[in-house]
Amino acid sequence: MASRSREEEELRRLSVQLRLMEQTAETLQSRIGMLNAAITDLTYANMTLDGVEKEKENSELLVPIGGSSYVRVKLAEPDKVVVGLGAGVSVEKPLSEAKALLKERLDELTKSMQAAQQQFTQVAERINADRNRLESLLAAVRQGKTSGDV
Amino acid sequence: MQTEGIKVSDELSKLPPQVQERFLRLQQLQQTLQSVLAQKQQVDMEQNEVEQTLAELQKTADDAVIYKGIGSLLVKAEKAKVTEELVERKELLTTRSTVLAKQEERLRSQVKEVQTKLQEDLSQVSPPSP
Repeated sequence: MASRSREEEELRRLSVQLRLMEQTAETLQSRIGMLNAAITDLTYANMTLDGVEKEKENSELLVPIGGSSYVRVKLAEPDKVVVGLGAGVSVEKPLSEAKALLKERLDELTKSMQAAQQQFTQVAERINADRNRLESLLAAVRQGKTSGDV
Repeated sequence: MQTEGIKVSDELSKLPPQVQERFLRLQQLQQTLQSVLAQKQQVDMEQNEVEQTLAELQKTADDAVIYKGIGSLLVKAEKAKVTEELVERKELLTTRSTVLAKQEERLRSQVKEVQTKLQEDLSQVSPPSP
């Protein structure tokens, strides 16, 4: 009797724990998604700067304005780039400095991404282990109840 | 999910009105706490961003060309003016964060209090275990 109640208590504890861990996994997954988007964005910006670096002053460029449409522009100062600092503030920087700054941000994001992926793997492993334990406990409780009924 | 909700409300309706009221109060408090926590997280993130921007601005030369975002446009601005605006924004965010932290503390203690009372109520209502 006491062992059944212990099992039921563990069942309750495990199901609460599982719910919490599933929430954590969801949060981590959405964080990984956001980091992925930011990494793609920065990689794209870096590639653009690499391309601009090779262009001369007054080169003709097509700048995307959305909807697969472009406007024709002339590159006025290939060595100057405007970089966002956050909080709605941007600063003009020499192209080489801008590239270094973007590279730094990319490295930080990659580190955060690796950490988040590692955490996600750990949480997923614990969820699997807890699910297995929950299933075996459920089976034990059910069996106990059936034999108790007979 | 809906059937679970119906089941819960069915169970709830079997409880004495005073306990039902306390249960609903607890749910309401927990929702308010969640909302305050979300607001605080948002404010803290914004505050962090402003602080980082201020630190980056400090590293730039006084005559650096600075732009301020207005909608989708970037408008040229003076470093000193932008810094002043950011410091002001940071102070405002710090005040909001402090107010939200106090609200969070108060709500947490209220949740704890109602939870304890509800547990007492439920222990009186539930049948003795075999």
